[in-house]
Amino acid sequence: MTVAIVGAGITGLACAAELAPGERVEVFDRIPVAGGVHGWRAPETVALHRAVLRAGVAMRLGATAVRWDGEALLAVGPGGVQRLPAAALVVATGARPLTRAELGIAGGRPAGVVPAPVACHLAENGLLVGRRPCVVGGGDWAARACHELLAAGAEAVTLLAPDGPSRPLPGGVRVVEGVTPAAVEGGPRVTALLAGDERIACDAVVLAHGLAPLRNVDGAVWEGPGVVYAGSLADPATVAGAREAGARAAAEVRGLLGTEAAA
Amino acid sequence: MPPDDGHGRRDYDVVVVGGGVVGCAIAWRLSFTTARVALVEAAHDVGEGASKGNTGIATSGADCAPGTLEADLVTRSSPRWEELCASLDTPWRRIGTLAVAMSAQEERGLQHLREQAVRNGCRSELLSGSEARALEPLVSPRALAAVHIPDDGIVDSLRLVIGYAELAARNGVDVLTGAPVTGFDRDGGRIAGVRTARGRLAARFVVNAAGIEAGRISALAGGDEFEMWPRQGQYLLLDRELGGRFAKIVGGVPTELTRGIYCVPTTNGSLLLGPTAVDSSYPGEKAVDSDTLDAVFAAAQRLVPAVRRDQAIKLFAANRPASDPVYRVGPDSRVGNLVHAAGIRSTGVSSSPATADLVHSLLADAGAPVEAEDASAQTALAPLPRLLGHPDPERLLHLDPRYGQVVCACEQVTAAEIAAACAMRVPPRSLDALRKRTRAAGGRCQGTVCLAGVSFLLSLHMGMQPWEIPVGEPEATLGVAS
Repeated sequence: MTVAIVGAGITGLACAAELAPGERVEVFDRIPVAGGVHGWRAPETVALHRAVLRAGVAMRLGATAVRWDGEALLAVGPGGVQRLPAAALVVATGARPLTRAELGIAGGRPAGVVPAPVACHLAENGLLVGRRPCVVGGGDWAARACHELLAAGAEAVTLLAPDGPSRPLPGGVRVVEGVTPAAVEGGPRVTALLAGDERIACDAVVLAHGLAPLRNVDGAVWEGPGVVYAGSLADPATVAGAREAGARAAAEVRGLLGTEAAA
Repeated sequence: MPPDDGHGRRDYDVVVVGGGVVGCAIAWRLSFTTARVALVEAAHDVGEGASKGNTGIATSGADCAPGTLEADLVTRSSPRWEELCASLDTPWRRIGTLAVAMSAQEERGLQHLREQAVRNGCRSELLSGSEARALEPLVSPRALAAVHIPDDGIVDSLRLVIGYAELAARNGVDVLTGAPVTGFDRDGGRIAGVRTARGRLAARFVVNAAGIEAGRISALAGGDEFEMWPRQGQYLLLDRELGGRFAKIVGGVPTELTRGIYCVPTTNGSLLLGPTAVDSSYPGEKAVDSDTLDAVFAAAQRLVPAVRRDQAIKLFAANRPASDPVYRVGPDSRVGNLVHAAGIRSTGVSSSPATADLVHSLLADAGAPVEAEDASAQTALAPLPRLLGHPDPERLLHLDPRYGQVVCACEQVTAAEIAAACAMRVPPRSLDALRKRTRAAGGRCQGTVCLAGVSFLLSLHMGMQPWEIPVGEPEATLGVAS
């Protein structure tokens, strides 16, 4: 039977490796490389990628999975459109920090309130979202954002960590702990973040708190027929955790298909 | 644009002040005539005021006060939506509203709503709770009764405003954004010119469609004195995966004060909860607060228990123009060549086509050269296909291979759609403006995945560096120079 896996990170690859001996597996990823947050050069990515290719898994890298109707997955990429009839769909598309709405941050809608992955991506390209940014969060994305922002030339970074910082931070980051972000002030650009009794003056708010599954295949955003979710919201994301999540999903797929693990 | 006379001056038959739904609809209507028309808007894009934050309901008029100009314009607009939205490449569906009563008192309110609907000539039917749930299974099992208003519809009001402006621009209307009006040149009892931050426009006639600013514009022109103030509404926008399950707009029972809280499925599949109605005095105030949002959510959940707070993808506030009286549409009593289209409060979208017709005839009555129809005018925009929900994506890729490049994964916006938006006559000049045209970065992850890529694409189209890209108004850019 055919299994479609969306997400070519460690989780998706591990799931594919488990299922490939018995099933026909195709793995999709919107970007043209495997590895997800762990990167395409990570030794585990390279090894798993080789293993799944040897096992006959079809890698559809650069194709965005857009729709699942319970029987087939529709994917669109520069190479064309593919409709893959499948008995099961594994959603292994990773996680993202919580959005402003999910954090319930009140106030107006000034410019400069930016998700951490965007701030990091821009900083890597030499684009700074603020000179005095306030990063919200305490985990991996928060630490990474502090590093990237300072490396890109930020003058002062404040970290607002509701649960305290759980990762090592670069020197010079001012840390405010134990309060949750309540509202932003300012316009047209943000001028302050309010949290508890604190008023943190800043010119950007970088959202790096918490993790939510990143799910955007229509028809598989929540539970659905034939849909298996594979992922871990552990912070930091580890290769071992991702492999485990992939293996768990593979077992769930087998349960759904009524098949046995290949010896 | 007509050539200026060397002093930054251009000549127009009609200058429309205000690029909201009302002003853009008027410009659209005038663009079918031979009149030379300009539209001036203070913000960097059209549809940045009340038109940006509304429920997206095109009401058939059942809940309008009978005998008013508002009821007249709304009911005359209602039958036109199918044809109008098809011509403006604007998503639209006539899905109907269920006004649901949850208490005996609300049930009595339904009777009043039903009588109003009859007096306005709108179709409506009184249903039991179970009949209402047969039409919309998401309605609370505790609903006692409902009025079904089958001719209400949902419209993408952002695309509607842009559609009006775009077709007007294609027919020769000069759409000047980022052009706040700074004053008027007077000649006796008439306006001779409109001074804006982008130069002076000689004007034979002026239409005041400035929304919340309409009272101030009238005063600047030496016209009638009236006061406008913002009525703030707060909203929660919920995920497409839930909104797509709704068959009907679900609302409470309107009262004297407000139409109440609605659950409105939007044309792109998300679900809007709101709005509140609180008068304020500061038009720039667009802040949400958690107490108000809690109340909105509770009111919505009372009607539809399936809504969940953690499905919210965006929280926002917007102001609609409040005034007393409402619907001040007519000539100014002091300035002979000034026509007001002001005081158009919460039904601005719903009445826009008929309001545009009315203003057209008022201008004709006042002697403006707007009676000759322009036979060469384009009557419809060519529809731009979108990947989201498209039945045959293969065909799209043959049309333009950039349909294979999905930039915003949540809303499935492709590079082809972004390129087409950037090629418009009224192009996006900010990330917000691009989102209004394409939905890019407006989905459940709110740009977490795609905003960097979207900004790089927009910067290529705008010929700017990525950090110079405005988020909204030009003063606030995505990045700062490092």
